[in-house]
Amino acid sequence: MTSAQSLAVPANDNPIAMSGIEFVEFATRAPDAFGGILVKLGFRAIASHRSRRVYLYRQGGLNLVVNADRDTLDGLDLPADQAVLNAVAFRVEDAGRAYKTLVESGAWPIQTRAGTMELNIPGIHGIGDAILYLVDRYRDFSIYDVDFQYGESPRHPPASIDGLHFFGLVHYVDIGRLDPWIDFYRQLFGFTVLPTGQSFGILPKGVILQSPCKLFYLQLIPPDENALWDVRWDERFARLAFGVPDVKAAVTLLGARGVPFEERESFHATEKGALTQNLYGGMNFEFVLSRRDADE
Amino acid sequence: MNLGNFGIDLVTLTGSLEIKLREVKAAGFSQVMLWARDLAEYPAGHEAAIDLVKRSGLRVAGMQVIRDYEGQAGAQHDYKTDLAKSHLSLCRAVGAPLLVVCSTTNPLPDDSERFLERDLRKLANLAVPMAVRIGYKAVPWGRFTRSVQDAWDLVDAVHHANFSLVLDTFHFLADQSSVNVIDEIDPDKIALVQLADFSVFEFHNRAELRDRAIHMRVFPGQGVHTARLAEILRRIDRIGYRGDFSFLIFNDDYHQLPPPFALEQARRSVKWVTDQVLRRSLPLRVPDRAR
Repeated sequence: MTSAQSLAVPANDNPIAMSGIEFVEFATRAPDAFGGILVKLGFRAIASHRSRRVYLYRQGGLNLVVNADRDTLDGLDLPADQAVLNAVAFRVEDAGRAYKTLVESGAWPIQTRAGTMELNIPGIHGIGDAILYLVDRYRDFSIYDVDFQYGESPRHPPASIDGLHFFGLVHYVDIGRLDPWIDFYRQLFGFTVLPTGQSFGILPKGVILQSPCKLFYLQLIPPDENALWDVRWDERFARLAFGVPDVKAAVTLLGARGVPFEERESFHATEKGALTQNLYGGMNFEFVLSRRDADE
Repeated sequence: MNLGNFGIDLVTLTGSLEIKLREVKAAGFSQVMLWARDLAEYPAGHEAAIDLVKRSGLRVAGMQVIRDYEGQAGAQHDYKTDLAKSHLSLCRAVGAPLLVVCSTTNPLPDDSERFLERDLRKLANLAVPMAVRIGYKAVPWGRFTRSVQDAWDLVDAVHHANFSLVLDTFHFLADQSSVNVIDEIDPDKIALVQLADFSVFEFHNRAELRDRAIHMRVFPGQGVHTARLAEILRRIDRIGYRGDFSFLIFNDDYHQLPPPFALEQARRSVKWVTDQVLRRSLPLRVPDRAR
């Protein structure tokens, strides 16, 4: 079955009233080392969770969470020197309603772990061990104000690269599982498949889905047919991609800060996109040519 | 088609889970269909059973079975959803890539039919993060979905890449369904073909059918419907199906004898299917015990 056939039944345009990404979370046993990488990318550590080893990094309108909480790590098969993209929080109009819609349509609810006086952020299980959170408090009131304690640095550090925004997330899918995952995202959230030939950046593999809010993308990548069959190919989020209006300028700026980019023939930096080298424990980041108002 | 595509449904065999797995492997088969109860009833607990299956070296083609899932409302729907989730968790734990769902037989009110697509689509979604595919199968005494045509129409309507059809040759034979439906089916939407013939010519009513279905199945090539069964298999082959076949033989005779008896019938049946029906000769692996 091809992706095109899967598209024959249109889903609701935006069934959970999604409106972009509130935060992306990474899990690691070495939050300081991994945080150091985020700082090189221009993020600032601005707050710590009140009751857990969870840290908030920010630049411009982008929030990254570094989770080194024991309970989280216990549930992951994560070696000491690795980091994984562990969760994504979608901005939605009404988190309770979105959660109910998703669960009624076949999403797996996560167990709530909120402590006393902490926010209970609803979420569902995504690919691999990842969680997809639903956040509706992102305008006048912030979820971080309740659960996090701010440090002395400014709460709203500006973006270090003009026009930096969340562009999308890449995830790996196993053999024969591309179409089921496409239907999962299409039916539960209203993602749509971009036509063949439309691609971004320098790694045009797999299938690209556009979010119903049209503010970000998911790239689903099955194993390369030429890859060895014994290569381990876990279904999981692989990396985060940032959008920037000038990739070369971003690469120059970050390079000067000590962020190395891939220079191999097959995926060296171009004006369309760039891929960092492995920055920490298997984690790299992608930069993609994309223009968007920073406030979106 | 090759021997690697043929597996045994463990309900066909007698004995403990250890014995079944050991004998299946010794007979040269490489895959099995499990039942959730194979794991649940294991004396040392389901986790030990999962470990046993994983260490057996056999591929798990899928797991049986959810019944009476779709079409319910309110608390019954929630209960069935929870049950389905437990099945899916077991599938993930044991590495079963397919969960078989039989069409509901509950005496539901007529207007419940409007829930079928919704419920099955939900199940298809639930199964995606668990790396499990849902295979839907008509049972002739079902409430709404009785024939292969009914089941295919519903699979087509649910229209989810994670939701496919399970064909059971017994059902074509039991209710004399037209085999022409096979030509309509997208072979990629067939998750599994379950193989059986049976030893009686015809059934007079659904109650008799239901009763005999779980007692009088025989291996293909040994029943009284071989010509029709051969036609079914040739059609399935002709549309391009290259997936798994599973011998699903509920038979009181086999249930009185040790597994090697039924497994020998299974080996003969593979040969009948490949040589007589599909005219494809293939080398059978020499059983371990014969070496």
